[in-house]
Amino acid sequence: MSRTIALLGKELTDLRQNLTIFLPSFIVTIIAVLMPVFVAVVVPLVSGERLSDSSDLEIALEMYKQDPAMRGLDPEAAIQAYVFQYFLVMLVLGPVTSAMSVAAFSVVGEKQARTLEPLLVTPITTLELLGAKVLGALLPALALSVVSMVLYLGVIALVAHAGVFSVLFGVRTFGIIFLLGPLAGMVALQLAICVSSRVNDARTAQQLGVFVILPIPALLVGQLLGIMQLTTPVIVAITIVLVLANAALMWFAIRLFDRETILTRWK
Amino acid sequence: MLTASHLSRRFGDRIALEDVSFNLEAGEIFALLGPNGAGKTTTLRILAGLIAPSSGSVTVDGEPMGPRSAPRLRARIGFLTEAPGLWDRLTVRQNLVVYARLYGLSSPERAVDAALERFEIRDRGDDRAAQLSKGLKQRVALARSLLHDPRIAMLDEPTSGLDPESARDVRDLILGLRRQGRTVLLCTHNLDEVERIADRVAVLSRRLVAIGTPSSLRAKLYTPRVRVVLAQPAEPFASTLRQSGFADVTADGVVLSAGLTGTSLTTPDLVRRLVENGASIESVLPEEPPLEDVYLKLLHAEGGAQ
Repeated sequence: MSRTIALLGKELTDLRQNLTIFLPSFIVTIIAVLMPVFVAVVVPLVSGERLSDSSDLEIALEMYKQDPAMRGLDPEAAIQAYVFQYFLVMLVLGPVTSAMSVAAFSVVGEKQARTLEPLLVTPITTLELLGAKVLGALLPALALSVVSMVLYLGVIALVAHAGVFSVLFGVRTFGIIFLLGPLAGMVALQLAICVSSRVNDARTAQQLGVFVILPIPALLVGQLLGIMQLTTPVIVAITIVLVLANAALMWFAIRLFDRETILTRWK
Repeated sequence: MLTASHLSRRFGDRIALEDVSFNLEAGEIFALLGPNGAGKTTTLRILAGLIAPSSGSVTVDGEPMGPRSAPRLRARIGFLTEAPGLWDRLTVRQNLVVYARLYGLSSPERAVDAALERFEIRDRGDDRAAQLSKGLKQRVALARSLLHDPRIAMLDEPTSGLDPESARDVRDLILGLRRQGRTVLLCTHNLDEVERIADRVAVLSRRLVAIGTPSSLRAKLYTPRVRVVLAQPAEPFASTLRQSGFADVTADGVVLSAGLTGTSLTTPDLVRRLVENGASIESVLPEEPPLEDVYLKLLHAEGGAQ
């Protein structure tokens, strides 16, 4: 464990010196925060039309009548709450892209800079090494999750109708931000670690992370089309799938991250 | 101290190493020579427990190297990889502190301070690794590989790509290790370096071609010769030496060269004959072919044998 902490310290120090690596994730987070504000607040303000008058949002109105949490809200606030809930899933993109970038560069970067062999000479075990790599990518992703949630809820408190903040400040939001976000981020970073044990280019490892990113907008679209709702049971189900995927990927990563392979095949 | 017994290693169909055996003794500098692809780095990695041999075994202080014992035995070995492999964005001190912690040293900061002092890089401790010259990076890498005070140092191309001054600094550091009683296994292409510092040499070309001290390898391949510089032309004295029984005598200007093999005659006999015949001698030296010649001859012989 002490060796994992030692290497984790290095990872975090290294990342502090290279904050630009988080720029794309930060931009994605800002866009994810501003998109629903644009849809739920700016467009009605500019067009002078209330969302609750639009026939496009009839589905939302129907749902609002069935949701006990929304019953105290006026129709306009309820639709804003729905929009902000739909777009909540997009906040997962930030931690996922962050974890993916860090993992892809921290593993392939070591490979390219030829810093891995001296590390493997030490008594560190593969599990300790991978643990440090995973935590080194996960901790910034978690920090970004917190930042994105504070931004999101802060913006809602500032610009949305009264009562929307209370609806969003609940278990579902925390579940999406603190369970789905980090778990999806871990899938992305472990995938990046697995891929990077077979490729030499961080970009290749990152590109394959698309497989993790794609389901996130798909969840948003699914909700907008009324195909599915990110209810608490759905969040729990996705969490279970992600936990299993992470366990399987960790198993694969340890096998793929074989010292002999690294030393003799990584060129 | 370290024993390699019948080491072989295959990578798929390719044989990288075949039946290599040798011992490393305490306090010696042992050089592993060989062309590219001869298996030097593979040997080093097997000895350090980084990769397993396909067959054969390694023991460190009598303890066999295996998957379970490797992490513990690696703590007795310092390994300098071919590339310095420093984390560029970290300072020299930060680089070393991480390794001191990875080696589980009780006082990492103090160990790093001592290493910075010992390798004369204290003033560069707060510089980022990226700012260092290649020579300094190599010095830091050497400091890193010896942080945990290992008894065996395995150095892969320690002076590769260094300017002469930096290379000499590294050589001095290696000699310092020997003075401290550590064993140094040096893997290099630099024969001049080997000539200067190695106690024993092994020539590798997938198999072990030869092993011994530089002078014993020379003696195996070349006859001992003496080179005499005279104050006058050497040619008249060449025939005198031939008549006295010296073999393969050559003269070039004021320089005489004579072989001592196949005769009971010695260097003092040669000097006496020359002086008796009126030669004025300026210097007498054993004539040794450079290690490069020995090395190439060994490799050509091995190539012919294969």
